Amino acid sequence: MTLEYASFLGCQIPLRLPSIEIASKKVFSKLGLKTVDLMGYSCCPEPVVSRLLDKTAWLATSARNLAIAEELNLNLMTLCNGCYETLVEANEILRNEPEELEKINRILGQFGKQYNGGVEVKHAVEVLYEDIGIKKIRDSIVKPQEMRVALHYGCHMYREPNGEDIMRKPNMMRELAHVTGAEIIDYGLERLCCGYPSMQADEEFSLTQRLLPKLRSIEGSGAEAVLLSCPACTLQFEIGQRSLRPHGHQYGFPCINIMEILALSFGFSPEELYLEMHRSPVMQFAKKMERD
Amino acid sequence: MVSEKDIVEYLKQSLPENLIEINVPRRRRIFARIRYSALRRAIELLKMRYDSLRFITLSVVDHGLDFEYLYHFHIDGIVLTLRSVTSKENNLLESIVDIIPAASFIEREAADLFGIKLINHPEPKPLILTEDWPADQRPLRRPLKGELPPQARSVAEAFISTSCVAPISTFIQRRREAAGLPRSPPMAFTDEKALQEFHGIVKATNLAEKSGFDWEKKQLRYK
Repeated sequence: MTLEYASFLGCQIPLRLPSIEIASKKVFSKLGLKTVDLMGYSCCPEPVVSRLLDKTAWLATSARNLAIAEELNLNLMTLCNGCYETLVEANEILRNEPEELEKINRILGQFGKQYNGGVEVKHAVEVLYEDIGIKKIRDSIVKPQEMRVALHYGCHMYREPNGEDIMRKPNMMRELAHVTGAEIIDYGLERLCCGYPSMQADEEFSLTQRLLPKLRSIEGSGAEAVLLSCPACTLQFEIGQRSLRPHGHQYGFPCINIMEILALSFGFSPEELYLEMHRSPVMQFAKKMERD
Repeated sequence: MVSEKDIVEYLKQSLPENLIEINVPRRRRIFARIRYSALRRAIELLKMRYDSLRFITLSVVDHGLDFEYLYHFHIDGIVLTLRSVTSKENNLLESIVDIIPAASFIEREAADLFGIKLINHPEPKPLILTEDWPADQRPLRRPLKGELPPQARSVAEAFISTSCVAPISTFIQRRREAAGLPRSPPMAFTDEKALQEFHGIVKATNLAEKSGFDWEKKQLRYK
């Protein structure tokens, strides 16, 4: 039976970090995972500003995205941690609170849409780990990535629908990273937020109290690169490193996505993955690793 | 003796389209939300119906993006407040002095303190402030701004107008094409029907209103 998911790309990956989209397509194809684009989707919507501003709008927009997947009769897979949190939390409300579902369906109904709670939402890390399995992934590896990486899981990765084992998905990501051949370097501040959400309120706090301590610890740990799963965290690391330079903090870690390291380990070249689209030296680093 | 029920029913019947909400939170107290365009008409109707109608005062609240006008009346021991909201860009208040002469001073005071321009007022000159008081420094007027902090404004603007929070640039679209990807992801902004549907959902909630989004200009009303 073919494993098939509706793919929720979100906003940041296709329009700011398309190399992650490219890598994920190659990884899924290699592993026999069929993905179907979600036509006409909107932002999940993003989990910070929109929800605080108007919960009904947040829930209705999210429900519309879930309804599109339901029309396809497919479960939904996200590559982005923020999209994951929004869609999982919205789905939880819509499935468990009939009054909310009815209210939201009254809004969706005006536009010929309805959501019945029939969609499961999974992060791509969960799909790879649970549906594909580590063994199949290990068997697909032809070029082990012998790099020393610091993992940044991203806050929304800890989100569990039932509030249970918050390390469930981070541990999956760790195993996926490990299977590529990368050496995982612990640096002690894995749980600290990268500061992306607080950029919208206080840029200085975000950079100096969130990103900078992480960069210092990562540098001290001896890691060569940061491995992430969230596009928003990736942007914060990549742009944040640049923003900190005029203030005397010289960091230039390559920031690689979990899909990209998997694709590299599956034998795809850095050029095929368009790693130059990053705002950190991922292409240079991947080519150097190739030569070494 | 006029009852709360009588006033409520009268306003419901005489302003069916323009009465947004009416409630009686306690005995002898009524709040009615009226469309701004129907405010004068509502006051005229009340004056015609109730001989005992007495104007108490006018309150003005600057909500940042909008002004709220609250006209307080007394009718046979009942206090009725007509509330009406209009955008601050409008900045015009049509006088009710021809209906309620006693409103003259308070309208001039509101104009002084909030920098509102009075229309059809018989004596539109300052009441509290001096004639040469700077027009842009009104004591109770707040800057035109909504609930969003500056850093969140572009995100909200992009989200509401395009369905997407990331910038949609031709640069990235060209790079996507060069990499063998579709020029744009299949988001609502690439499909007119899907975008209309998305906008319909946004309009059916309070998101655009709370953000201060201008649908005609497709941008926030403040920067």
